[in-house]
Amino acid sequence: MSALAEKSVPTGVIVETRSLSKIFGGVRAVDGLDLSIQEGEIHCIIGPNGAGKSTLFKLLMGIERPTAGAIVLDDHDITHMAPHLRARRGLAIKFQSMQVYQDLTVYQNLFIPLRRHHRPREIPDRCANLLTQLQLTDTEERIVGDLSHGQQQWLAIGMSMAVDPKVLLLDEPTAGMSPEETRQTAAIVRQLNEAGVTIAVIEHDMAFVRDLDTRTTVLHYGKVFAQGAFADVERDDDVHRIYLGKI
Amino acid sequence: MRQHSVLDRYLGPLNGPHTMGRGVAFWVGFVVVVAVLASFPEYMRRYDIINLSNFLISGFLALSLSLIWGYCGVLSLGQAAFHGIGGYAYGIVALNLFNAHGNTDIAFFAGIVVPVVFAAIIGGVMFFARLRGVYIAILMLVVSLLIGTFMRQTADPSYTIGAAYLGGMNGLRPASVDDPLLPSLIFGLGETVIELDGRRPAFFYFVLGLLVAVYLGLRCLVNSSYGYWLVGCREDPNRTETFGYDVRLIQLGVFCIAAAIAGLSGVLYTAWGTYIHPDGFGVAPNILVVIWVAVGGRKDLGAAIAGAIVLEWVSLRLAAEGEIAFLVLGAILVGVMLIAPNGLGITIGDYIRRGHDRAIAWVRAR
Repeated sequence: MSALAEKSVPTGVIVETRSLSKIFGGVRAVDGLDLSIQEGEIHCIIGPNGAGKSTLFKLLMGIERPTAGAIVLDDHDITHMAPHLRARRGLAIKFQSMQVYQDLTVYQNLFIPLRRHHRPREIPDRCANLLTQLQLTDTEERIVGDLSHGQQQWLAIGMSMAVDPKVLLLDEPTAGMSPEETRQTAAIVRQLNEAGVTIAVIEHDMAFVRDLDTRTTVLHYGKVFAQGAFADVERDDDVHRIYLGKI
Repeated sequence: MRQHSVLDRYLGPLNGPHTMGRGVAFWVGFVVVVAVLASFPEYMRRYDIINLSNFLISGFLALSLSLIWGYCGVLSLGQAAFHGIGGYAYGIVALNLFNAHGNTDIAFFAGIVVPVVFAAIIGGVMFFARLRGVYIAILMLVVSLLIGTFMRQTADPSYTIGAAYLGGMNGLRPASVDDPLLPSLIFGLGETVIELDGRRPAFFYFVLGLLVAVYLGLRCLVNSSYGYWLVGCREDPNRTETFGYDVRLIQLGVFCIAAAIAGLSGVLYTAWGTYIHPDGFGVAPNILVVIWVAVGGRKDLGAAIAGAIVLEWVSLRLAAEGEIAFLVLGAILVGVMLIAPNGLGITIGDYIRRGHDRAIAWVRAR
């Protein structure tokens, strides 16, 4: 790990991995990873393809089971907990692939996550608030498959927000977006964070990460390669060599 | 915000996004269809009414598969197994208790409860083992075939349960000449006894009324929050789980409800013909249900019922031609899958809805 100065002041760890490993066949996708995400921060995770970023999120959410190690959420060991129980403890995810219900309307897409935590009569107002926040007003009755790629990405984020999470994991939220849409997504992420949600973001778009300008972890071969403020990470020669130098 | 029609307000969960038809025209059409069906005994031959009763019974089985496959995305190729289990359970309990009770009340409920218990056990194993897709479809078919194979080799007289002799290939029958014959439905309500003989119009009215009630009940279910959870599981179970839903429990719950409805169809079938035999567990009966529902439209309850009734009628018309009925049904399935993958009922419904919307827009523009 590169010696980089920490910029942000920790306010308490909300998510922690302890010697977390995941082996697929002979490949160590995540290799004894020790990572902590502070409560209330936006934490960016970057790294080259195959660094284990998406596998890490799947392990955190319980989609994949770890080969070794532990995951702690809010002082509770959730290593062996089913995904729906992690969700009930306040963990939400937007996957790398577009995970919206393509054949349903925008309202129906939001109804399903909202109904888990809200009474039916509260849902229309909550839905309207979310759509305003996501700049998706007037799309309520549209079939999701007819929305633009960027709108579908925002809706996917909105569906994760609908469960009122403590920690939101966003896996490449700006994939396939235009520069303007990427800027708007950064604004949405910041707005969410200001509302008290801890956010971990995997991103390849360095303009987006630079825009957020938060604590950043570089993963490489399933391990923490570097960590610190993005400006410091960006200047690190080793990080350039393995990743940033390529862009 | 979302617009609600006056009908939505009065019909509540009967009208919703997960069922076709929510306007005045649909409900008027629905009442007309039920009224026409109810008038059949007035002018149709008794033979036709007996057959139509059987077609309506198939509608229950179609509803059960539509619920679990069309709404929850779990294809079961062994749904007829619950029909058979329900039929046998009804028959066994009826044969044993009829002399003592003089009615089939307990047998009727046993025919529904036993398939549910069976579904809870096998569904619990399947869903909590996180089996999905083709594995569930094949497993259920194998379970059905295994039950059928077992029931076929129960011809030995030792296979009796009290007054019921399982009878192997010949089907369920009394264990001795002193035991009662397999009865049709006989409900005892206090001093009143209501007999519903499968060959009489009263049985037809009972089945029609029950089918309408189950259809309307399921409309309420699929248009409720539970219906949204089902659709979420169908569209993307992994994503739905990340919202905090225990997808396994939702799937197990709907699997049991579907088993209850399939069991009800088995009860009615056994009471209708006063017989039940192991052929109902075979490949053909299981695949037939899939064909009815796929051709009608798996994602709508009414379309699934229509598919069952129409294709059962086609099968009956072709019955005299031997195996050709199954070939024709297979050809219909392939044709429908090519031109209307969502099923004929749903495709026709979509055309009607679009035509209606265009007509409204045209009138408004004038």
